[in-house]
Amino acid sequence: MDLYLPIAEVSVNAPLLVALGAAVGFISGLFGIGGGFLMTPVLVFLGIPPAVAVASEANHVAASSTSSVISYTRRKAVDFRMGGVLAAGGVMGAFLGVEVFRWLRLLGQADLVVSLSYLIFLGVIGALMLSESLSSILRRRRGEAPKPRRDRRPPWLYGLPFKVRFPRSRLYISVIPPVLLGVFVGVLSAIMGVGGGFVLVPAMVYILRMPAGVVVGTSLFQIIITTSLTSVLQAGRNQTVDIVLATLLLVGGVLGAQVGARASSRFRAEELRAVLALIVLAVGLRMGLGLFFNPSEPFELMAANG
Amino acid sequence: MSTYAPPPDTPPAVSAALTTANVQVTSSFRGARIVLYGAVFDPTLKPSDVVVIVRGPDAPLRLARKTRIAGIWVNSKPVVFEGAPGFYMAASTRPLGEIASFSTLRRLGAGVDHLRINAPLEQRTETRYGVRDVVVSRLGPDYLDWRRAVVRLKEKAGLYAADDDGVAFVDRGLFKAEIDLPAGAPIGAYSAEIFLFQDGQPVSRRMRGLTVEKVGLERALYVFANNRPWLYGLASVVIALGAGWLASVAFRRN
Repeated sequence: MDLYLPIAEVSVNAPLLVALGAAVGFISGLFGIGGGFLMTPVLVFLGIPPAVAVASEANHVAASSTSSVISYTRRKAVDFRMGGVLAAGGVMGAFLGVEVFRWLRLLGQADLVVSLSYLIFLGVIGALMLSESLSSILRRRRGEAPKPRRDRRPPWLYGLPFKVRFPRSRLYISVIPPVLLGVFVGVLSAIMGVGGGFVLVPAMVYILRMPAGVVVGTSLFQIIITTSLTSVLQAGRNQTVDIVLATLLLVGGVLGAQVGARASSRFRAEELRAVLALIVLAVGLRMGLGLFFNPSEPFELMAANG
Repeated sequence: MSTYAPPPDTPPAVSAALTTANVQVTSSFRGARIVLYGAVFDPTLKPSDVVVIVRGPDAPLRLARKTRIAGIWVNSKPVVFEGAPGFYMAASTRPLGEIASFSTLRRLGAGVDHLRINAPLEQRTETRYGVRDVVVSRLGPDYLDWRRAVVRLKEKAGLYAADDDGVAFVDRGLFKAEIDLPAGAPIGAYSAEIFLFQDGQPVSRRMRGLTVEKVGLERALYVFANNRPWLYGLASVVIALGAGWLASVAFRRN
């Protein structure tokens, strides 16, 4: 059944989009990420204009994150104070990112920046996550004790001013690193059409050293706030949110996220991380390597307004 | 018994009609095929050719060329082109080059090679060889490559087409042409021009209008998104958060 999208102005196969939404929602619930980094490239591949894909995907990420964050809240796995601090940064980042994206589209460089961002961020994070999770899987297979967690946190995290207590994360740190992290993720959210969980989760584990139990829930909570704001800004500033497209995706997405969140308890954390690392790495390479190959068509057509 | 015979001095004429003058874009829109029927009235029975030109609304567009910088392919600064219709179809009984001369086709803008696409921002006028106001493009000798790329990319998207035998005579004096609008055809007012050519000259011309418009829900949403963009954005977020909440409530009960 084909459906004409009023804003994207293309005709798409509706059941296919619902199924895609469900598949990405499942991955989202399973790994505690938004799933935008997977969905946005697929939408562009299906012929949705990139600007519409990025904006509508933010809306879809908000929906599937809401669906899974509620179950994390019930398990008391959300640090709302930390999430709030991250979100404050995220709000600033989203404002900045929507303007940056607008400017890049005018310059005709939006696609380049999106591809490079995918290659760099997904490539680096995927590779780091893969090596970390593989080494902990190998260690467990060999029957060695898990590497003791380094409790010595980096001194710069503690030397900074504006320290705040985060009881649920058992932290007493400056708000500057989480706010900066939030800004960064907010910008990415607007430019790449992602929630930014793939950056937030490792950053919370390795930089902020939050306990693993609250990382995913807190990341999802901050993603909801950032992507909701991004959706409103993209719709208000650029008129690029396609409500029909977003609704198709989120119908499957919210259900898939529930199933995924349930399934996540059946797997070991490091195995999940290894699989996620492979997915992240594959998407990053697929999006970015095209920049190095000779294009089959040397010209590119763009709409006049960006 | 007398059949009507026009006086021999009546000039040849062409007449045509579209099966649909109003294409409605609904949620099930997947493109449309419109049939154009027409008749040639010519007492002299001279060999005639018919050319049908369909144009969509003009929309300026930008084109960038990929260049290699430090090993990666980067878009150049985009060039704004004007005068490119959002949809263009030229259908004829024979290849256009056989029907009329280059200059005639150029004057009528008939055929994708004769579209008046130009890049006004890249142009300046200067005096060359003593001739004043010569239009020079900053794109230089590559200009034709750029122009061709506009046509090529539009053809690839199904928005430009040139069909050498797209106009077929189905009976004596009665002809038919098909116009295929893809799902991505722009919204707006289209025009269909029908030319009758004899001896390389257009001897009769007809114009028919065609509109492509969004209707129903498609239109309501499009208008909402453009007239009240902030409210539209809020509505989309409320739907998203509401759906996420509903799903988690529904699953909790199970």
